[in-house]
Amino acid sequence: MSVAFDKVLDARGLACPMPIIKARQEINTLQPQNVLKVLSTDRGSVKDFQGWAQTAKNVELLAQETETENGKEVYVHYVKRVS
Amino acid sequence: MTKPEAQGTEWTVREQKEHLDRRANFFILDVRNRDEFAAWKIEGRETPSTLNIPYFEMLEQGGKDGFVESIIAYTQGELVGQLPKDRPILTVCAKGDTSAYVADGLRQLGYHALNLQGGMRAWGNFYEMNPVTESRELSVYQIGRPARGCLSYIIVSDGQAALIDPLRHIETYLDLARAKGFQIERVIDTHGHADHISGGPALAGRLDRPYYLHPYDGIHPIDVLPARVPFEYLHDGQTLSVGKARIQALHVPGHTLGNVACLLNEAYLFTGDSIFINSIARPDLGGRGETWAGLHYHSLRRLLELPDTTVVLPGHFSSPREANVDGLFIASLGELREKNEGLRIAQEGEDAFVQYILQSLPDFPPPYVEIKRVNGGLLVVDEEKASELELGKNVCALAQAYQAAAP
Repeated sequence: MSVAFDKVLDARGLACPMPIIKARQEINTLQPQNVLKVLSTDRGSVKDFQGWAQTAKNVELLAQETETENGKEVYVHYVKRVS
Repeated sequence: MTKPEAQGTEWTVREQKEHLDRRANFFILDVRNRDEFAAWKIEGRETPSTLNIPYFEMLEQGGKDGFVESIIAYTQGELVGQLPKDRPILTVCAKGDTSAYVADGLRQLGYHALNLQGGMRAWGNFYEMNPVTESRELSVYQIGRPARGCLSYIIVSDGQAALIDPLRHIETYLDLARAKGFQIERVIDTHGHADHISGGPALAGRLDRPYYLHPYDGIHPIDVLPARVPFEYLHDGQTLSVGKARIQALHVPGHTLGNVACLLNEAYLFTGDSIFINSIARPDLGGRGETWAGLHYHSLRRLLELPDTTVVLPGHFSSPREANVDGLFIASLGELREKNEGLRIAQEGEDAFVQYILQSLPDFPPPYVEIKRVNGGLLVVDEEKASELELGKNVCALAQAYQAAAP
């Protein structure tokens, strides 16, 4: 899948709640309409990013995908700052 | 962000279980996302009052930069009056990290908050052992995973043991064998499990002892591929002995094509997934529910021919409320003949039974196809993946069992 993004947050190896907390900090440094690509190895992040995007007023979840890297699954989330 | 202090501010899953068992007065704040909470939550014979607020809602609606500061702001703004001050509040999440911050925030506001160490993952992997009977001639132990509703058994006679349906964490059984001084001689799986990863092949391999399975369950029903794990063929009527105990295999297909019940000394019936306490097994996890429902009927009728005094020891439970006062999941066949809805309907004839079964099937859990692959040695997974596949409570019984279990 090719989703255009403006910045990457590498949250691999970080346990919950860190992927969301760091994504929230990063998104607040972006310009509106810019997209953050988040990499996480925490499987729980898939549902959590969906829930967070529904809750947060300035965030839209554009896409999610799962990649395999050296036999380990990496969960990728594309998050747009809306306003 | 530094992690909150652990000392005196956490419960282990064992401590939590003790509090549940003695119906202690505490409150649960579960901060997982709403889907995970809806699928699986902490239950006891009496389940404490429980509130689910996903941590990211606290973070976002609390609106502060720091997580703990957001939790404090959210609690002061939104949760006033919803959290008790007069009893402990157990905070729960998937793995126990996030809920530690939540407990920290609540304590700063004066609540008696404790974090569940290791979260739902640790709870899912927690084991409990209860003796069914204990003597030199014959001991039977029921070993279960309370959060998942999976049950396994050890039969010991004259220092020799047979394991029935051992669960994934095989150290549990090896530790018990050392502590009680018995030798594990035989390992039996009543069937190819779909809801959990069997400890059978690993234990048999470690101890160099035979692993028994009915050959029909040596074939993955969806993939139609043969197992790559070595096993001895278990067949109907076969008798295995350990010490003075004799275990007779009864082939009772239905839940799987190779499901076997084990009758010990003509007194104890290890039903595998056929008869449970409050329900019966579903026949559709192999993808052939309509075809297998009739087999299931004839198998249950066969088991119902055993004497009323036969002690039933099931492979699963659906609710902690099915336990007796000693915490055992156990009942006489005579009692179940009257009380168990599935068995009552089996006594009404095949048509009524098949109709009842096909109207009572819960959704098919997608990981179950993969778990069967793991159990047949067709797929190898690491600890992380194994825990993910096994997440939640088993769904091997009919739907009514879970409706009845809902708080």
